[in-house]
Amino acid sequence: MLAHALNVLLSGVFHAAILFLVAAGLQLVFGVQRIFNLACGSFYALGAYFGVSTVTVLTGAGLPRPLFIVALVAGGIAVAAVGPVVERLLRFVYDRDETFQLLLTFAVVLMMEDILRIVWGTAPTSTGGLYLIYGQVRALGVTVPVYNLIVIAAGIAIALLMGYMLARTRFGRIIRAAAENREMSEALGVNMRVVYVKVFTLGTMLGTLGGALVIPSTAAMSEMGIDLIVEAFAVVVIGGLGSMRGALAGALVVGVLRAVAISTWPELEMLLIYLIVIAVLVFRPRGLFGAAAA
Amino acid sequence: MKTSRRQFLKTVGAAAVGSGVLGAPAVLRAQTKRGVPSDPVKIGVLAIRAGVAAPVGAAGQRGVEWWADRVNKAGGILGRKVELVLEEESSPKDTVERFRKLVLQTKVDVISGGISTAVGLALGPVTEELGTIWLSWDATTQNGVEETIPKPKWAFRSVDNEAEAVGGAILTAKHFKGIKTVAGINNDYSYGRDCWATFMAALKRYTPDVKPVLDLWPKLGVTDFSSHIAAIQQAKPDLLMSSFWSGDTTIIMKQAAAVGLFKTMKACFTTGGGVHDSLKKDFTPEGLILGYNSMYFNHVGASPLLKQFVREYKAKYNEYPPYECDHAYFTVEAYKAAVEKAYAAAGQWPAKEQIVKALEGIEVESLSGRRGYREDHIMMCNFYQGVTTHKNEFDFVTIDPVEVLPTSRIQKPAGSKLYDWINSWRV
Repeated sequence: MLAHALNVLLSGVFHAAILFLVAAGLQLVFGVQRIFNLACGSFYALGAYFGVSTVTVLTGAGLPRPLFIVALVAGGIAVAAVGPVVERLLRFVYDRDETFQLLLTFAVVLMMEDILRIVWGTAPTSTGGLYLIYGQVRALGVTVPVYNLIVIAAGIAIALLMGYMLARTRFGRIIRAAAENREMSEALGVNMRVVYVKVFTLGTMLGTLGGALVIPSTAAMSEMGIDLIVEAFAVVVIGGLGSMRGALAGALVVGVLRAVAISTWPELEMLLIYLIVIAVLVFRPRGLFGAAAA
Repeated sequence: MKTSRRQFLKTVGAAAVGSGVLGAPAVLRAQTKRGVPSDPVKIGVLAIRAGVAAPVGAAGQRGVEWWADRVNKAGGILGRKVELVLEEESSPKDTVERFRKLVLQTKVDVISGGISTAVGLALGPVTEELGTIWLSWDATTQNGVEETIPKPKWAFRSVDNEAEAVGGAILTAKHFKGIKTVAGINNDYSYGRDCWATFMAALKRYTPDVKPVLDLWPKLGVTDFSSHIAAIQQAKPDLLMSSFWSGDTTIIMKQAAAVGLFKTMKACFTTGGGVHDSLKKDFTPEGLILGYNSMYFNHVGASPLLKQFVREYKAKYNEYPPYECDHAYFTVEAYKAAVEKAYAAAGQWPAKEQIVKALEGIEVESLSGRRGYREDHIMMCNFYQGVTTHKNEFDFVTIDPVEVLPTSRIQKPAGSKLYDWINSWRV
């Protein structure tokens, strides 16, 4: 019984780690730029596909297979270079109505789907058996792939890093100031344009890194980005829009609840998540950690 | 000596006749047979291009293109060149519009294609209304077909999708002894639901006290099965059954290997052969039942045609062909054979009704072997399923033994209902 509960918990936390990375990117961008970037799912997919290519190329060129994770992370970070490009595109709608922002980011989602298809084709793309290369851990009756533990650890590490950055570094202070009061920050001399590019790129990088980290355990498939946007939306509503802690809490809730639902009442998997979303919207509309409406 | 005028005229005349004789065959080769129009035969092709089933659509399209190249090199159908008009199969509504455009605007002679069930159900009535021959690659399942296309005149359907589940159950009973409990993980749509129900109904005929202990229904496109695997581990079944046919097969195989799932239970992947060359030996164990639908690329009894196709496909696309190639190839090869058969009777390019008559009961040499259409417009062919092995020269698994299951054994006969037929078996 304990073994099963542990199994469910671990699978839920693994899924939550990936959700957190994508949602954190979403929250960062929303908090500062007030844009709900639907394309976060596309960055996730891009990181996945690019990660596979990076690993394939580098291991083909002689990188020892156990070091594939280095290639993966490098690929995930490098492809965040599309961030500034998309940000430039979004500059047109910064001060416009939210509907324009949603439309434009949705357009980016559709364009990315086709770009991914043109570059990588339609067949599922994966890193083959590299997922199993670090072996498994057996404890308390549960078998866990070491790779899953690495991803969970990476998620925790990044969460701590983000927390540290936001609380202790100058850049973090600027981000928080810009999120709280943009005009005042600009009046105090902050170059908002540069901050926007940096924040958007950081948000993109969290998404692409999430995609790259998850890909060895699965395969890059069409529409994986679109499926993730739906889950990320639930995470952000539950956690509270614009809050990093909200991203973490929301991701854990969605990830673990999904795992529990699949084990107890599989038919209800997605329904359960959305029941929670509705409950949150009814009883605490700002989410668990969201700022109270002004 | 001086040439006389008579001599000169004779020489010129001979030269003229000679060049005429030499030149004539070239002219004759370009001409079609008597009663056959000289313009090309237009074949409309509907193939999925985006989404989870895109590789299946691509495989089918490649099968048709390979066929068209071959046929045109050999002179075409009765001398008429073949021209493919490619359109995308997407949502039922959009695909119906493209179907109409192909028939009414492009005026194609026949349409080959259609993979998804929803599209198949939508196209059936349209085919009958427009009176065009439609040869479907896949796209059928139990429910809904009987209501929308009860006695098709123009539509020719593929094998019933549940055939694979029936085959899987037969082989489970044959190769795995002592299966008392079964868990199922299938995609949450008609194909998945029907396969699970059919598999259990068929297996019950062999092992009447077999019990389903868990059924999971992830939708198409799920990429993380770790929670599902945790649930399966808890249920401790003797056998896991899955009708996954796309990338999710590879994913679940990988994630199952990471926790050693198949060390504690057997598995039957009825349709996993659709992504066979992604099932690497690294994470796909031996001893699982794996189904390749109607074409197995490595069959020991493979015809020279199949061997050539596999060779050229691998050289061009760097992949090994999956079964959709043969579904597609068969439809157009059957069309050609039907036209030739009807021409022999009619003495001129046959009308659509005559081609339909010729298609009923036809048999041709397709990539996977002999295939044909029954009188009720449903495909007849062999299904290939077997037990996975690592003993091959590839980095992915193959099957050994290869069980050849003809549709006469795993598909319900014309006019019967599936569960009545299963319950009538003598076991």
